[in-house]
Amino acid sequence: MPEIRVTPLGAGQDVGRSCILVSIAGKNVMLDCGMHMGFSDDRRFPDFSYITRSGRLTDFLDCVIISHFHLDHCGALPYFSEMVGYDGPIYMTQPTQAICPILLEDYRKIAVDKKGEANFFTSQMIKDCMKKVVAVHLHQTVQVDDELEIKAYYAGHVLGAAMFQIKVGSESVVYTGDYNMTPDRHLGAAWIDKCRPNLLITESTYATTIRDSKRCRERDFLKKVHETVERGGKLWARWPGGAARGSSRAGLPPPLQVLIPVFALGRAQELCILLETFWERMDLKAPIYFSTGLTEKANHYYKLFIPWTNQKIRKTFVQRNMFEFKHIKAFDRAFADSPGPMVVFATPGMLHAGQSLQIFRKWAGNEKNMVIMPGYCVQGTVGHKILSGQRKLEMEGRQVLEVKMQVEYMSFSAHADAKGIMQLVGQAEPENVLLVHGEAKKMEFLKQKIEQEFRVSCYMPANGETVTLPTSPSIPVGISLGLLKREMAQGLLPDAKKPRLLHGTLIMKDSNFRLVSSEQALKELGLAEHQLRFTCRVHLHDTRKEQETAVRVYSHLKSVLKDHCVQHLPDGSVTVESILIQAAAHSEDPGTKVLLVSWTYQDEELGSYLTSLLKKGLPQAS
Amino acid sequence: MDPECSRLLPALCAVLADPRQPVADDTCLEKLLDWFTAVTEAGSSLLLLQENPCLVELLFHVLKSQDLSSRILSFSLRLAGIFAAQEDCFQYLQQGELLPMLFGEVGPLGGAAWTAPAVRSGWIQGLRTLAQHPSALHFLAACGAVDTIFSLQGDPSLFVASAAGQLLVHILDLAMRGPAEGRRSPQACDWPACAQKIVGHIEDSLCSTAIPQVTQALSVLTTAFGHCHGLWTQGLWVRLSPLVARLLEKDPVPASHSLVDLLLSVARSAPSSDRGLWETLAQTLSHLSPTQAGPLALGILKLQDCFIHRLPKDKRDSWSSPAQSRAGFILRTCSAAFCHLPSGLTLWILGHPVPQALRTQAFGILLQPLACVLEAAAQAPGPPGLLEGAAADSMMVDTLLSSKSACVGLLCCALAHLGLLQPLPQRPSPWPQAPLLGAAVTTLRLCSGSAAPTSDVGGRLCAILVGCGRVQRAALDFLGALSQGTGPQELVTQVFSVLLEYLVSPESSSMVLKKAFQATLRWLLSSPKTPGCCDLDPHTQLFLRELLPVLQKRLCSPCWEVRDSGLEFLTQMTRHWGGQAGFRQALLASEVPELTKQLLRDPESYVRASAVTATGQLSSWGLCATPASPECPGAQQESLLVELLHILSTDSEGFPRRAVMQVFTEWLRDGHADVAEDAERFVAGVLQAASRDLDWEVRAQGLELALVFLEQLLGQRSSHCPYAVALPETAPPGVLDQALQVLCRVQLFEFAFRALFDCDRPVAQKSCDLLLFLRAKAAPCGSSQEAGDSPNVASVEATLQRWQAGEQGQPLGYLEPGAVVALLRSIDLEGLRDTLAESSDHVEKSPQSLLQDMLAAVGVLGENEADCY
Repeated sequence: MPEIRVTPLGAGQDVGRSCILVSIAGKNVMLDCGMHMGFSDDRRFPDFSYITRSGRLTDFLDCVIISHFHLDHCGALPYFSEMVGYDGPIYMTQPTQAICPILLEDYRKIAVDKKGEANFFTSQMIKDCMKKVVAVHLHQTVQVDDELEIKAYYAGHVLGAAMFQIKVGSESVVYTGDYNMTPDRHLGAAWIDKCRPNLLITESTYATTIRDSKRCRERDFLKKVHETVERGGKLWARWPGGAARGSSRAGLPPPLQVLIPVFALGRAQELCILLETFWERMDLKAPIYFSTGLTEKANHYYKLFIPWTNQKIRKTFVQRNMFEFKHIKAFDRAFADSPGPMVVFATPGMLHAGQSLQIFRKWAGNEKNMVIMPGYCVQGTVGHKILSGQRKLEMEGRQVLEVKMQVEYMSFSAHADAKGIMQLVGQAEPENVLLVHGEAKKMEFLKQKIEQEFRVSCYMPANGETVTLPTSPSIPVGISLGLLKREMAQGLLPDAKKPRLLHGTLIMKDSNFRLVSSEQALKELGLAEHQLRFTCRVHLHDTRKEQETAVRVYSHLKSVLKDHCVQHLPDGSVTVESILIQAAAHSEDPGTKVLLVSWTYQDEELGSYLTSLLKKGLPQAS
Repeated sequence: MDPECSRLLPALCAVLADPRQPVADDTCLEKLLDWFTAVTEAGSSLLLLQENPCLVELLFHVLKSQDLSSRILSFSLRLAGIFAAQEDCFQYLQQGELLPMLFGEVGPLGGAAWTAPAVRSGWIQGLRTLAQHPSALHFLAACGAVDTIFSLQGDPSLFVASAAGQLLVHILDLAMRGPAEGRRSPQACDWPACAQKIVGHIEDSLCSTAIPQVTQALSVLTTAFGHCHGLWTQGLWVRLSPLVARLLEKDPVPASHSLVDLLLSVARSAPSSDRGLWETLAQTLSHLSPTQAGPLALGILKLQDCFIHRLPKDKRDSWSSPAQSRAGFILRTCSAAFCHLPSGLTLWILGHPVPQALRTQAFGILLQPLACVLEAAAQAPGPPGLLEGAAADSMMVDTLLSSKSACVGLLCCALAHLGLLQPLPQRPSPWPQAPLLGAAVTTLRLCSGSAAPTSDVGGRLCAILVGCGRVQRAALDFLGALSQGTGPQELVTQVFSVLLEYLVSPESSSMVLKKAFQATLRWLLSSPKTPGCCDLDPHTQLFLRELLPVLQKRLCSPCWEVRDSGLEFLTQMTRHWGGQAGFRQALLASEVPELTKQLLRDPESYVRASAVTATGQLSSWGLCATPASPECPGAQQESLLVELLHILSTDSEGFPRRAVMQVFTEWLRDGHADVAEDAERFVAGVLQAASRDLDWEVRAQGLELALVFLEQLLGQRSSHCPYAVALPETAPPGVLDQALQVLCRVQLFEFAFRALFDCDRPVAQKSCDLLLFLRAKAAPCGSSQEAGDSPNVASVEATLQRWQAGEQGQPLGYLEPGAVVALLRSIDLEGLRDTLAESSDHVEKSPQSLLQDMLAAVGVLGENEADCY
């Protein structure tokens, strides 16, 4: 029985290190190859030894597909391709192909910077890995080989994020990666056509959440930044109490400097657009800086991939490209010591090394300043500590850093919420759904909801668990023109509502299936025709002679089968079309006659009917 | 345990035991277990539990609680395992009946929590850690754990199933080890009950008709032979080998992959003196399909390597001669299967070498697909093929032609296996270099469509392979590997011709082109020199003339991957052949140098970086683009230096800037003419640009360049290890003063001191090493002692303190050499080096920090928990 098998090595009932193995019609595909930023040893990568216990990875896997550039989806790629030894093709969209190496390089630099890690992928490995990438356009069907094809759909979430349809023959799987069903400031909403896959593998980060409008979050963010750099403390009292952590904010002196730790790409650009537009509208003068030299390249790619952004940006980019920032300038390390108000975007996003941590250490002691964490921080980072409210941080050399600056958390992650996930399932109309990239408890809730609403099976395997789905592949069969013409010659036009039986001979040759007329089949195969007749014996209680019994049979059938040609032949036998009936005496019982009925395959229906009719006996002679 | 951690532990245990408190981060529990493992490895677990009763209380609480998360339950099982690994602590926990409650039927095993794979995994891992002593064995037997482990072998979770198999092996090893080990007979009557049970289960599974059970048994045995080195494994093989051999009687052979793994594991671990193993291997080779047999064949041919790779190198060289390996020698000098040499190296006991007939059979299997290709493509009966004239196996031909995927898979495997075998000392001899070259070339031609086979099979192969990138890549890799051997000139010409065909072809994908460049480079570099002449041989020169226009074209490719691969190829070729007249002439006659220079302005940063490296290399050999005017021959070179400096100062990407720094360092080290002209000005300019760079790797490379400059002024360091600063000989006072003057003029100290307090640890570390080297050179020189009290030193020290505090705005100003020496003495460089040796986040990664984070996260989690990237 053909089947689809799915085994998550990562993202099975968890968030992070996405890596899902799919076997479909004998093809093996790896969906995403992510890493876990919370670990600094081997555990940060999926355990690839489970992919194949014997043989080479390149021989086992037909391809790797990367949904988007976030490290939890692509961070293990150079390790997998250059250190574990996968040498096959890697598919991703063009923006992902462009941006992925920047983030990988950024991460490598931080890892080496922090720990001086020697056993880690190098810049050269990232480059060599990227050379194996094949770029995919949206809605373009890419043939991986003669049987396996993939197609990308827009996923929102981040620039270049895509959902992928994987198809072999009539079997298909859709993998969503991370997606967002509502448009944001620079990206559109995810979309997929009614492709009715056998299986939809969907992320479920916000499986139980109906998220508030992103506009609200943006408004809050702008308000906080603005108040910090421009107006001062008099507005603090109006802020919702829940937003404040640690000390009370009322009566504080005017804040000045805002630090926004970000990763070089993705959320940084979204927040840059947000601030740029706001600064423009409000005619603000406080400088905004971006701390690394990566801005230029990042913005270059965002400009280059305008078709991947939302409608508004696409429409207006001729007059003004949103990614050409007027107010955001490159940061110089000396600026951090300037006393005036400013906003600084600095990497890395979790305050665990480099520029962002250095600036944080300088500014942390001043209660006028503020740090806004726009994303998730793993344990063991300064970002995680301050988000959990710790205010006295032990630093190297037993120094204690007292954090007096204000700490804010604003989630800007762009995932579909429960409503969005349901919407996508409705849009794609899959036969089965499989949840990944979420927490088990929340998945359980969504699973029930999906099963109830869509009447499809929903699965949520843990990492290492395999879900097996039987499939019924449809096998294409070519029909010979001659056969079709013969059917047409019978005068009946095809009608979808009244299916008709069509007889022919199925020839299976060289993995091809053809239905031809039996004559053609015989000719093609060089075979002689043999007639096959079905026979049956019917016992009748009749004391008359055989000839008389045959006459009685003839009369009976003539009266019943008015539309058929019933004949009584000179040798005493009776025929109805190709059916032959002969009467004989029973060898042991003279009161019983045996009717020998025989018919061809073509008249099987009539033959069966006649037999059952004769079994009921003949009418009594009047 | 740290007192602070001890203080935090009760609160943390309370949080963990509270089902209403979700755990902060899914990595925290893992890290907590890592910490407990480290703590128990360093000291007594019993003491730990006695001093921290909250830990046992947590375990008891977990057992009582009904609605605890599966993660906490799994954590608790693993934690209990860590504690119980020490026998006294095991007894202590047993007194409280804690272990049976956790791992026995009454524990999670019988409850609803068991449905969570995390709990099953925790249960196995807990037992795996716990099973370290005889008491643990009794416990496992008493609580019926072994039966549960048997059932977990078929767990739906791969992780759990695999861990269950490993645990069985661990228990078996634990049971079989000990004083009686060497005396145990293969007949299990004197084996411990626990071992008998496991082996009995394996026997039953091997006889099963269900393939998953056979697979499980084979994989357990593979692990046993791969990881356990006790003599008991030999007994185990004697007992089980008939059952394994019986699997070969079935058609098809069940669990063939696992069977191959097992046989190779046995062959590697316990070289047996009986012939049974080799016979089984031979039978397996003949029973398996060509695709299945390939890995086994490769494994058999690699076996000799396993026998010698653990020997000390001097012994390895003398023992690997064919005569000795054929004679076979068995060193049985101790009761264990291996002994420890004084040097700490492990010496394998060597068994009988692999019989030649088996090796021939195995090699034949690897060669068969290529033999088919050769035979199918042959225009007319030619020289003997790969298999000494034997007709290609009809089964092989059927497999090759059955479908495209089968054909591609088989060929790729054969090419990869032969490529792996090629460089090994124990590869089959004689090695059929010429037919293999022919096969690789033919395969590539079939793939490109340039072969015109006349046979039916050849035609069908051609139809299957034409345009197949996978086979092209594999064949190019293999062709590259074959460059290590020689071949008849005619074949070598064919090799270059097919490589050129691929490099020219517009059909070649970027990956195929990359591999074609790599293979070409390998063949070019291995091409023989003309006898009595140091220049390239005529064939190579001829090829170069054809190749360079192709390279030229590829450097203009719209695909960055291709441009970059072309530049990498050029760099390597120049590095090796820069001095060869033939190469120089051909290169200078082409437009390649000019194009390379143009690529310094490529839109793709990877290409710009490769262009920088290539141009740097070309310039080192005087092969850069022809001088612009004959009157001013140095103008072009100078402009390159200026151009590279411009890239260093202005390129928005790190890769090209880093590449420039590497080129400059190489130029300085090798005494490049333009650098040597005014090294002081050069170094000053480069350091100034590097000091402003936001990329720490550029700054670190700047320090590397500074170090080269220092060594040129003051003499080499005694060690090449950048982090091992040995005491160098001090420089003579005159030389030192002069050198310090120069260093001050190029502002090397400002750069180095700034780097010393860099926020990026590797930069600070490198600077520390550099200053330590300088201090060691300068320290005994007393001439500048008095400078320590000068106002210059005081103000510099004040500036340095500000820098250390993170305020690096203020410049250092001009430094007197004397002040520098005084500063070098006053800064605690050793202390700084020790601090820098630790990771920059070691404080955040400490156990205390972990506990604080977990406690701090309580209550604030709700706001952030749903977030991710």
